[in-house]
Amino acid sequence: MVEPQFLGRTGIAMDDLLNDFLAETAEILAEAGGAIVAWEADPADRAQLDAIFRLVHTIKGSSGFLALPRVTALSHAAEDALDQVRRGNRPANATLVTGVLGILDRLGDLCTALSQNGVEPAGDDRDVIGALAGDIPEDAPFEVAGVPLRRDDDFSAELQSWRSIRVPLPLLDSVMTGVTDIVLARNEFARMLRESGADLSVIASFDRLSDSIAGMRQSVSQMRMQRIDKLFAPLPRIVRDLAKDMGKKIAFQTSGGEVELDREMMENIRDPLIHIVRNAIDHGIEPLEDRVAAGKDITATISVSARQSGNQIEIEVRDDGRGLSPDALTAKAIASRLLTATEARALAPKDKLDLIFRPGFSTAAKITSVSGRGVGMDIVKANVEKIGGIVELRNEEGRGLAILLRVPMTLTIISGLMVRAAGQYFAIPRGAVREILLENGDTVRIDQLGGGELATVRGEQFPLLRLENILGRERDEADDSDDRALVIVRPGQGQSYALSVAAIHDHEELVIKPAAPMIMATGLYAGTTLPDNGRPVLLLDVQGLLATAAIDASETGRSHDRMAEAEAEAAAARNAVQLLLFRDMNNRVRGVRLSVIERVEEVPAKALFESAGRVQAQIGDDIFPVHASALPGGEGTLKLLRLYDGRSVLCYPIAEVIDIVRLPDAVQPSAAPGLIAGVVLVGGDPVELIDPFWLMEQYAAGAPALRRPLCRLADDHDGWGGNFLAPILRNAGYRVVMVGDASDEAPDVLLCLTEEGEPCGHVDGDVPVIRLRTSIAAAGPEDATVYRYDRQALLDALRRQVGGESA
Amino acid sequence: MMDKLYLIARIADTRVALRSRAINSVVTVGTPVEVPAAPPHVAGLFALRSRVFTLIDPHVVIGLPAVPVAPGQRVIVVDVAEHGYALLADEIEDVCFIDAAETRIAGKLLPGWARVADAMIEHQGSSLLVVDPSNFITLPALKAA
Repeated sequence: MVEPQFLGRTGIAMDDLLNDFLAETAEILAEAGGAIVAWEADPADRAQLDAIFRLVHTIKGSSGFLALPRVTALSHAAEDALDQVRRGNRPANATLVTGVLGILDRLGDLCTALSQNGVEPAGDDRDVIGALAGDIPEDAPFEVAGVPLRRDDDFSAELQSWRSIRVPLPLLDSVMTGVTDIVLARNEFARMLRESGADLSVIASFDRLSDSIAGMRQSVSQMRMQRIDKLFAPLPRIVRDLAKDMGKKIAFQTSGGEVELDREMMENIRDPLIHIVRNAIDHGIEPLEDRVAAGKDITATISVSARQSGNQIEIEVRDDGRGLSPDALTAKAIASRLLTATEARALAPKDKLDLIFRPGFSTAAKITSVSGRGVGMDIVKANVEKIGGIVELRNEEGRGLAILLRVPMTLTIISGLMVRAAGQYFAIPRGAVREILLENGDTVRIDQLGGGELATVRGEQFPLLRLENILGRERDEADDSDDRALVIVRPGQGQSYALSVAAIHDHEELVIKPAAPMIMATGLYAGTTLPDNGRPVLLLDVQGLLATAAIDASETGRSHDRMAEAEAEAAAARNAVQLLLFRDMNNRVRGVRLSVIERVEEVPAKALFESAGRVQAQIGDDIFPVHASALPGGEGTLKLLRLYDGRSVLCYPIAEVIDIVRLPDAVQPSAAPGLIAGVVLVGGDPVELIDPFWLMEQYAAGAPALRRPLCRLADDHDGWGGNFLAPILRNAGYRVVMVGDASDEAPDVLLCLTEEGEPCGHVDGDVPVIRLRTSIAAAGPEDATVYRYDRQALLDALRRQVGGESA
Repeated sequence: MMDKLYLIARIADTRVALRSRAINSVVTVGTPVEVPAAPPHVAGLFALRSRVFTLIDPHVVIGLPAVPVAPGQRVIVVDVAEHGYALLADEIEDVCFIDAAETRIAGKLLPGWARVADAMIEHQGSSLLVVDPSNFITLPALKAA
């Protein structure tokens, strides 16, 4: 127990206390600013008022203890005024809110001075205190176009969970290091246990220990996490002040504040986020009269939302302002000599938008006090990319702009794919990996083009980089060329390339640390990591590899060459039969012909679900049947073999891929047809061979054809088509669009819901047409129309026209 | 007091006295992990408990050809600018307290040594170059280019 009287101004304990106070106060000020703006929008919100009162009261209490008279006086004044409001003696109006915000600003200034000098600077605060206590004119409550900033229950829940303690970061890091050491020691110990042939009871209790270590590692990594709410807290205040300054009315919303992010990461996106929000207010939102002229609501909306998607956090800032104009951007770029008119003409619309990321670019016609601070979108992009994130633009000219920041879950722990090249291991951030394929798989074709290489995967072309070449190493002779794999990497928006590696190892959760400066300077590596085996591994910088290889990995303008792909497939079919060996979910080693495997997919366990008595998997936008009798439980991810017969896909869950071998000639066939076609000997061990024919047969009826025919509905005036017909069609395996929907694809069939006797106005060349009639009776024997509630006749007619699946 | 403490070692075929202030420890390494495309004096990476260290070959820094890392070789672990490095040592002799003062280097050294050596010191009847371990971390710009 430390007695307060022992705390001299110069004591070490005092410094600690002061630091804690400053850190805590900075947090409170950010939070209180947001809360006050929310409360201003809804002065009747008693809970919000109480929350603000408590925050100010906390500052007052701590400052009194530390003998900071100015801070105490200021917080006391704010507390007093808020208390008057609580007691109903004073109305909540703009004067009060501005006054309290003024006090918070002054407190912030004082804290900055305190952190620099360690003593409270002398000064007079009567101005801000006077402004708060001053005249109480009976003006109408200030109308701010504010909307509840977050749900009230959300806010009070946060306050209740606000009990926390401060821990110095070095201590936290040392705990993390300690846990990593324990994990390494555990792995070493586990290996020794296995080799020593210890008895089962020892192994069982070691496993228990091992599990709790894993749990501990998990908790420790969570210690670094913080709710993204903290990042959003200062935004309402910024929006309010700026909107007021610029005479704009803005409703500000946040959502997804419960998403958690690494603290260090949070620091890195704080400024970019604020900058984007400022930009939205300054440039995005039009002046009131322009909004009226454009037929928009006078009150603009800016929303900031966060959500977790896989290993990434997506933070979106969306406004309903004027959006970006590609032409204006180009003109601006030419004017500021960032590019020539000739270059500008060659730019795709997307590239034109990306001009805002060019250094030295500013979209505002004149530099305003708000955005023209020398921080541009280029800095935003650089900051976000520095932490492994990407910035995406979703622009609707005239209707608004959404800027999406995608950042990896944590700076320190990422999911990494381990690959081998030149006889050593490297890690690739899993977030940047789009797909993994075997280099000599059927879906891959590699062409030599004038010294360069190009990989074509299912008609899509990727520049091919060989990791050994980039690293300047020779291939390891011990590597089997059948193991070579292509990792399709997407380092950033609109870029992708194929990275050829000697083999794929596995993937691991990796603690990433920065490498020494001279190693980072190579531009090839993003850091080092120590996987469970205790040998350091370099994390590849997927963007830096591109720069080193000097390859344009932009996806725009790449052609899709289906003919050539078909050719490649035919060529691959002539090759020897290969067998993919894997361990199934019950730990049995089994094999399947490699040629029926489209690829190995890694999905979160959540992607599997049970429907109509069958296990299905959702992969991207598609749903595929899974060969499993029950849902595999548990968290984490799951590997699925994608079997593809040219028409449909079936997923087969496996524990891990073991190897790819030549299929031996001697197969001992099974007695009866079933999942197992027979047994082969691979390296002296029996391996059960999966029969893909039998497997596909089991699921053939339910497997969706990959190319689902497109139906277009025309003349759906009363919505019947959309509401009644479309669901049936979708069930039956068709895709449905309405006339007028944006769709580049030519429909396979047109369904006309036109009234009897009227011509269908949307007939387009040779697209087959089916007309639906509303009366049950046909007009005559020649009547080719179909009664709209005759499901079977309709589906039959569709199948005759386009040959889709019937349910 | 710490200022007078030196680690006597043979580095890049030369006996030197390393100022001990920056030295973290002396350990043995197994086979390091190579860093392709890194500057030539980076001999690889190795892990010591949960930290990853960058192995530096002082031979290259001095301008001599690189030497292969022998398993079990002793290295001098130093911290420079919050990064951990390890200098390959040919031989570690002793940590000792040298009371003599550091003196200005007399005579002409090879260019590589002239760059890293700070001073000379007299110890047990012989003159040793005094080197700050951090001088080995960076390569001269012309060499790195």
